[in-house]
Amino acid sequence: MPALARTLTVAALLCALAPFAVRETCAADGAARDVASDAAVANVESGLRGVARRTETPSALTLGLVLEPPHLDPTSTSAEATQDISVNVFEGLTRIAEDGTVRPALAESWETSPDGTTWRFHLRNGVRFHDGAPLDASTVVFALERARAKDSVNPLRDLLKVVRAVVAEDAHTVRIELDHPAGDLPTWLGWGNLVIVHPASAPTNAQRPIGTGPFRFVEWRKGDALVLARNDAYWGPRPRLARVTFRIVPDASTAFAALRAGDVDGFSNYPAPENVAELRQDPRFTVVAGSTEGETLVALNHGRRPLGDLRVRRALSHAIDRRAVIAGAMYGYGTPIGSHFPPHHPAYVDLADRYPYDPARSRALLAEAGYPRGFELTLKLPPPPYARRAGEIVAAQLAAVGVRVKIENVEWAQWLEQVFKRRDYDLTIVAHTEPLDYDIYARRDYYFAYRDAGYDALLERVQRSSDPAERNALLGDVQRKLADDAVNVWLFQMPKLGVWRADLRGLWRNAPVQGVNVAGAYFEGEGRARDEAGGAGSGRAHEAGGADSGRAHESGAPGRIGEPGGTPATAPAWLRAGLMGIPVIALALLVAAVRRHADARWLAGRATSLVLTLLLASLAIFVLVQVLPGDPASYMMGLNASPEAIAALRAQYGLDVPAWRQYADWIAGSVRGDFGLSYTYRVPVADLVVERLQVSLPLALYALALATLIAFPLGFWAARRRDSWLDSALMGAAQVGLAIPNFWLGLLLILAFAVGLGWFGAGGFPGWSGGAGPALRALTLPAFALALPQACILSRVLRTELGQALDEDYVRTARAKGVSEADALRRHALPNALIPVITLLGLQFSFLLAGAIIVETVFSLPGLGRLVFQATAQRDLIVVRSVVLLLVLAVVFVNFLVELTYAVVDPRLRRRSA
Amino acid sequence: MSAAASGSSPIAGASRVGLGVGVVLTGLALLAAALSFTSAFDAGLALNVDARLAAPSGAHWLGTDSLGRDVFAAIAAGARTSLLVALGAVALGMLVGVPLGLAGAAAGGWLDESLARANDVVFAFPALLLAVLLAAALGPGAATAVVAIGLFNVPVFARLTRAGALSLFTRDFVLAARVAGKGSARIAFEHVLPNLLPALVVHATIQLALGIVAEAGLSYVGLGAQPPAPSWGRMLNEAQTLVGQAPWLAGFPGLALASTVLGLSLLGDGLRARLDPRRRTRG
Repeated sequence: MPALARTLTVAALLCALAPFAVRETCAADGAARDVASDAAVANVESGLRGVARRTETPSALTLGLVLEPPHLDPTSTSAEATQDISVNVFEGLTRIAEDGTVRPALAESWETSPDGTTWRFHLRNGVRFHDGAPLDASTVVFALERARAKDSVNPLRDLLKVVRAVVAEDAHTVRIELDHPAGDLPTWLGWGNLVIVHPASAPTNAQRPIGTGPFRFVEWRKGDALVLARNDAYWGPRPRLARVTFRIVPDASTAFAALRAGDVDGFSNYPAPENVAELRQDPRFTVVAGSTEGETLVALNHGRRPLGDLRVRRALSHAIDRRAVIAGAMYGYGTPIGSHFPPHHPAYVDLADRYPYDPARSRALLAEAGYPRGFELTLKLPPPPYARRAGEIVAAQLAAVGVRVKIENVEWAQWLEQVFKRRDYDLTIVAHTEPLDYDIYARRDYYFAYRDAGYDALLERVQRSSDPAERNALLGDVQRKLADDAVNVWLFQMPKLGVWRADLRGLWRNAPVQGVNVAGAYFEGEGRARDEAGGAGSGRAHEAGGADSGRAHESGAPGRIGEPGGTPATAPAWLRAGLMGIPVIALALLVAAVRRHADARWLAGRATSLVLTLLLASLAIFVLVQVLPGDPASYMMGLNASPEAIAALRAQYGLDVPAWRQYADWIAGSVRGDFGLSYTYRVPVADLVVERLQVSLPLALYALALATLIAFPLGFWAARRRDSWLDSALMGAAQVGLAIPNFWLGLLLILAFAVGLGWFGAGGFPGWSGGAGPALRALTLPAFALALPQACILSRVLRTELGQALDEDYVRTARAKGVSEADALRRHALPNALIPVITLLGLQFSFLLAGAIIVETVFSLPGLGRLVFQATAQRDLIVVRSVVLLLVLAVVFVNFLVELTYAVVDPRLRRRSA
Repeated sequence: MSAAASGSSPIAGASRVGLGVGVVLTGLALLAAALSFTSAFDAGLALNVDARLAAPSGAHWLGTDSLGRDVFAAIAAGARTSLLVALGAVALGMLVGVPLGLAGAAAGGWLDESLARANDVVFAFPALLLAVLLAAALGPGAATAVVAIGLFNVPVFARLTRAGALSLFTRDFVLAARVAGKGSARIAFEHVLPNLLPALVVHATIQLALGIVAEAGLSYVGLGAQPPAPSWGRMLNEAQTLVGQAPWLAGFPGLALASTVLGLSLLGDGLRARLDPRRRTRG
């Protein structure tokens, strides 16, 4: 009987451990593949470098990027961050130049029929993709047909509804037939979503983009950096930079430190206008304030009662002091605008003073409209700081004319769902970053709920005109019409705050399209021979995986999203060993517990309750994640997506099956170690977790080690001199330390050691590829911030336990026999004090692993907590639920291990808890 | 927990000092919260972009923030938010947790068992992570913070109540009441609960301190009280990009936070020593 119970127990435990074990084998497989491809890549890389050295000084540029792209396929997301990168890798038939004009790219030239419905594009000869595949008319037809297909997830799919057919006339001529004239067609074809992709590489572009552009993709270390290298076979002018690294710097505060520490050479668009004045003073940097396509506006919901009234809208326009908003929200950067049009465009008409700031007039207009005492509105604000800051100022200004504004901050997912989709809002503040997007005012069901036949007719005339002068005149009318109707309260044109090293040239001042274009960038004077540290070693270049792209399935295949792609877990060997170690330790403890005290019934009971707890927790997580407002597919597709495209993506995500099926699939998958593919990153969730564990696990261990190192001497010292002033002082200090929240401590540490002394970076994580030194350095301040409060708890408990043990009779006896106080403490008191201390260490470890979320935010570390946080905001629910479950597993499991330890150490304890 | 308490007996003098300091610091936080209702403090919270990022001076004792608001007024108003959220969370935890704990102890059997299981599940969640999820589900705000933090107070109070009640149920005065014909529920409320009160009050103070830290953490990541309601966590978050230019923005709100937490935990420890002499002598 006990033998049977024992077997059952072991089996139950193995089930609980299965996910770990399976994952490990997978990771090991991946590693083997990796090593093989690494060798090949290293050869390619060193060869490349040799070539580069002979022709010109090698140069490498590192730019900071605030948002990490979800993936790198610009044809299936409207994420700006994707286009920031992809603009260098992919090309369209045309391109938008820095001055906003349309220039030839893959098409050398084009012409249109007199009626404007037939366009002919003549392709450039001899263009090849980065994998060597040639470009011809059939490639273009494939790419455009894919973008406008029924199941297309291209955000610009709606725009292409006007296209009747795309035909290859010969190998280098493509004819596009339209239902009605569209003068903007060449412009659209220059936008990032409509780039030309190859049938062979299209399904894997998300992880391994292969285009025709001046730079090719090298590697992507998630949460850390993206690396591009020069395409030496490029058809156009050869880029002067050999290598460009985009380092992810997600926080404005880290951005400043990264610049000053030289971690990055610059930001194409610096995220914190509040630092720009300070950066201007620094001779090492140039600040280039340019313009973007982002019209920042207070959107008014015309469907809500008072806002449908033109007098009310005009009153609101008069109530807002744009200059104060720009000063307050943007620290003076940004051009005031009075309509929906960028000031750098040739057709721009300055209407910023159409409704001058005039509270008295505003109040009069409100009274005239029948609201002498004003009214109440809610203002929903999306997360970007410009919106939040502008929102507070706008609310205060509106309050001054009697309009009481209730601010409601929402996440992007909620904003999309509530404001954009369901039009459940009164006011919101957002920047409309798409170029030439004045057509949104003619869209049915757009979230402003503005309908005007006159405007629609005007827009039609714009589309039909092909004469530039006439067209610009018409665009002027468009701007005036929108301003006259006071459709929205336009605030300012979003600036592009370029901050980069003073010797860096060739980055764009303005951003007429989204993208960080580095094709023309170079360092003046001596090119710096500063190749990315560890670049060759860590260069898991995915483009080498030719075999993989060969088996990529066609986009027509139903079901799940394409290949996970060659992004194997990059966990270093020691980490894998460490992960393996957890089950090994658990088994060893279990075996020891069973052998020493064969109370198998107790063990079976504990194991059952562990599994039960996990099941209940998984159910709770699933329900919670299900009720999260906001649809993952809408989030991914952004503002311009059609409902069909969103539905197609939902089906790809597997969200179109009943909830109970989703739950069952999830649990069944989890037991096998398959957590599915991340919605955003499109890689296995397990890989993401392993990546993040490389930060979280070392951080937790580091903090625990620090806490122990601090607490043990203090606890000992206080116990030896117990009841002295030293004891009181130490324990008092521990009490104070306990009261200091770890994230504030983190801030203070940054202030002292990063900003002040410059000993450490202010945040970010360089990865382990550059060696343990830089990685541990990056973890030191956060580990200390986490460790101090824990050390305080630990030292207090230790002091108390030791103090108690020292008063026991057996210690007194030992002392009487002549044992020294130090020995009494070490040999007799310590072993007895250890059990509560071990319990505490176990609890602290799981707390540190899961609870570091805020400290990770303070130091912008790509750890597990931050993964959950970001995934929640992005509605990457498949990641959220699995990571939370894994963390719950960790907590439950560590507690179980602690209990097993008791059972091994002290049989009495086991019986008592049974 | 009991370990920390029993350690305080040999240093009774220090404990008295601790209680005193605790009372003073907690009082300061309460005073600040009360003052924030006055109109002078309201005026300090008005936006004034021209006076932004002013260093501490006679006009602005603790300087001004990035929108020109007076930091002292904002800290006072933040105290109000902080205390209200933490109090709400403790109230929620007690209102749900104490009856559950009493019920478990009084009824025993499957009810007790399933309550314990539910407790385990909640305890297995990393608190902050679940709070993030809850805030995303319910929408960020002070009310959400109360629910998210309160949820974790429920098992704390349930366990404490259950453990205390179990031992009380075996005591003679309970047996006497039973003999007198009183039902379990009546006994629980009339005889057991009053005896548990001191321990509950002590625990409430400590959970209050933890709740204040949790609230600050939630608003630091943007999930706590929403603007224009001031909050210490958000002030710290906004201070981060300006830490070089305006260090006072990172310093003072954090100081207020730490001193309130310290005050409450000293108060809790001191109260424990006072109200619960059994615990003190047991060690």
